[in-house]
Amino acid sequence: MTHPAPVGTPAPLLEVRDIVKQFGGVTALGGVSLDLLPGEVLCLAGENGCGKSTLIKIISGAEKPDSGTILVDGQPFTSMNTTDAIKSGIQVIYQDFSLFPNLTVAENVVLTSAIASRRKLYDRRTARPAAQAIIDDLGLTLDVDARVENLSVADKQLTAICRALVDDARVIIMDEPTTALTRTEVGRLFVIVERLRARGVGLIFVSHKLDEVLTISQRVAILRSGKNVVTSPASELDMRSIAEHMTGKVLDESRHVAAIDPESPAVLEVEHMDLPGAYHDVSFTVRRGEIVGVTGLLGSGRTEIAESLFGVLPPQSGTVKVDGKPVRLRSIGDAIAAGIGYVPEDRLTQGLFLEKSIADNMIAASMDGHRARLGTLDKNAVRETIQRLFARLRVKAPNVQAPVRSLSGGNAQRVVLAKWLARRPKVLMLNGPTVGVDVGSKSEILDILRAEAADGMGILVISDDAPELVACCHRVLVVRHGRVVDVLEGDDVDVDNIRKKVAA
Amino acid sequence: MNAVQEKNPLKRVNAEVDSRWTGLVERLHVDRSARRMLLLVVVAFAIFAALKPSVFLSGINLQNIAISSPEIGVIAIAMMLAMLTGGIDLSLVSIANLSAITMSTMFTAIAANNPDQAEQLFPLIVLVGLVVGLLGGAVNGLLVSRLGITPILATLGTMQIYNGIAVAWTGGKTLYGSPAALTSIGQSTVGGVPTLFVLFVVVAVLVGIIVKRTPLGLKVTLQGANPTAARYSGINSRAVLMSTYLLTGTLGGIAGVLFLARNPTASADYGASYVLLVIVIAVLGGTNPNGGFATVFGVVLATLTLQIVSSGFTALRLSAFQYSIAQGVILIAVMVIDQVQWRRRPRARRAAAVSS
Repeated sequence: MTHPAPVGTPAPLLEVRDIVKQFGGVTALGGVSLDLLPGEVLCLAGENGCGKSTLIKIISGAEKPDSGTILVDGQPFTSMNTTDAIKSGIQVIYQDFSLFPNLTVAENVVLTSAIASRRKLYDRRTARPAAQAIIDDLGLTLDVDARVENLSVADKQLTAICRALVDDARVIIMDEPTTALTRTEVGRLFVIVERLRARGVGLIFVSHKLDEVLTISQRVAILRSGKNVVTSPASELDMRSIAEHMTGKVLDESRHVAAIDPESPAVLEVEHMDLPGAYHDVSFTVRRGEIVGVTGLLGSGRTEIAESLFGVLPPQSGTVKVDGKPVRLRSIGDAIAAGIGYVPEDRLTQGLFLEKSIADNMIAASMDGHRARLGTLDKNAVRETIQRLFARLRVKAPNVQAPVRSLSGGNAQRVVLAKWLARRPKVLMLNGPTVGVDVGSKSEILDILRAEAADGMGILVISDDAPELVACCHRVLVVRHGRVVDVLEGDDVDVDNIRKKVAA
Repeated sequence: MNAVQEKNPLKRVNAEVDSRWTGLVERLHVDRSARRMLLLVVVAFAIFAALKPSVFLSGINLQNIAISSPEIGVIAIAMMLAMLTGGIDLSLVSIANLSAITMSTMFTAIAANNPDQAEQLFPLIVLVGLVVGLLGGAVNGLLVSRLGITPILATLGTMQIYNGIAVAWTGGKTLYGSPAALTSIGQSTVGGVPTLFVLFVVVAVLVGIIVKRTPLGLKVTLQGANPTAARYSGINSRAVLMSTYLLTGTLGGIAGVLFLARNPTASADYGASYVLLVIVIAVLGGTNPNGGFATVFGVVLATLTLQIVSSGFTALRLSAFQYSIAQGVILIAVMVIDQVQWRRRPRARRAAAVSS
């Protein structure tokens, strides 16, 4: 090592120096430098397209930088490949965890390292104890013989962490680790993270959730347009300053709720709706112009309520009225005909046709409303609708013919939103409207919802993101064990209050 | 690095021709796979025209290509529609034969009593042929959309059933007899182009309009691209699948009419080789077998390519087996080129970024 570390501060595990990476003339990274100390959690924050993913790919050896150096324990690599990275103890846990769903926990934990060390045969007798040792070591309660496909998201993630540790990981990079977790599960993950830190493992968290970023990390590095705009201790930042560094703009995350006309009629009335095993005796109303939040833990029944109102899980009993008229919700077709739209939780599989163009996606729910006389599509009306929404929702794409797969999370979500706005539904339900969406897009999406509500739509936002609910909802329903246990209104709608009620 | 500024004169000419060609084709508003097929048609034609001009370029040979293409082409278009939803329809050729056999039997039965009346009832006979196709498609549609049977199994079953009915009905013999009007349509030309080919083009244009310009066509496409998202967008998959198989069945019926117009005979084993050939054509024409992507234009061009190769092989006195080898080679070659292009693209972009 050429530069011995001064006494007192530990030598960095990982150093990244002046990494430059271009794709077809577009600069993804313009000279980024970072370091990671042992026993530290460094959060890598930034909007979609800021270069986070590219930087991770370079650190893990999946992409080669155009210039720059990576040092692991002071040893430089100009071009690292994935094997080098794993051998140096760098492990990435991607959002999808890259596990084999049909194999057991033990097999998943042990198999990749066995393959990496070119072992030809898998020995079940050594695999189980090896996996069990790691699980016990971390103080987890994972069943080594469970098939991974049957595990919860949180347990899948823990399996992926165990797998990383088999290879003696010293740097663990986690891509959006908390997106699919409930608040309790996030808490448990953070306990494990603390244990890893105690062992001197360095962790890089890539996350959108700014409040969690601040809870868990010691330092935060923020990327914007391929540049590291700031790296500073987490204690010196707050959510607002992080968001501002990320976007380069002053953002408004505060509560903006327009007053509703007291005469405004109910657009959605749900009375004694019941579906055994999912929720019981759910009653509420949404008035024209009102944004109502529905929150609760994962599995509380919040998603099932929305899916029932959209006809995916038809309710067993109870009445639902739209604009005062009772409607039967036996199918998605019934719900749409009644004037209900739904932006689903799982955007990629339920919301979007990824390989299809933005235009096709935007028109997907309103083709029958764009008929010309002979029953063909009215090309001009279709083009007009698409261009209007493309411009209004400010979708960032070269043109409407671009495939949706090429869009970032925030832009993809705008396309799903556009699909429903093209129909002008009376009630629009959104499940996790800003999950995996960068902060800039998030505030724009909330603005769009406020504008649609002001235009007379009734909006139901299903979310576990308390700040988001506070930012836009007139009222918030709290669902626990399938029942609406609380309705927060006015000044009661605040972040701490929502969290308390949800967890109670 | 700009290809047109290349020093080497030969390369410069090539690059210029390339850019003119792509410019021309781009103006035709066709997608990449159709562009590739257009090139393949021209190349196949040029090769055989150069190798055996006396036979290949003769009027009779060109007429033959134009007369033999429509029946295969119509079935291939039907196959494309089924594949567009992510399914497949193996029963098409059986439906076409059953339709042709029904029409021939009906004509012969009426003509036995009153030949003039049989001729007069020509439109009705054709209509019955189309209805047979529609019914055949309806059974497929019910199996796939209502009962949720995988299309490949449902249509494999109905293929056997329809073919079995046809064999049992005809006793395995070839039936002779067809309205004279139909046969004369089969032999007539419009401005030198065989009427059958004109009908093929009309069918292709109509299906093209359905696919690209109607709500149904877009629903079929989206259903194939992502059935879950289609459901969550309020697309009624049952209705979409039912309509699709009704349409493919009807196209099978049209193919039956074309069979009978080309030859006034019908038999249960006519066109047995078409079953797999039309899958080759559909995929060659840019249809994604997983659903969601297809163009009628591409399928029409793929039909022509294979017919050109077929008649070229005949002109060169090569056997049907050698033609079947060529079919396989063309299909795999096009797939390989596709793969290579996909893999090379990111690397080429990187190279461009480094050199700039």
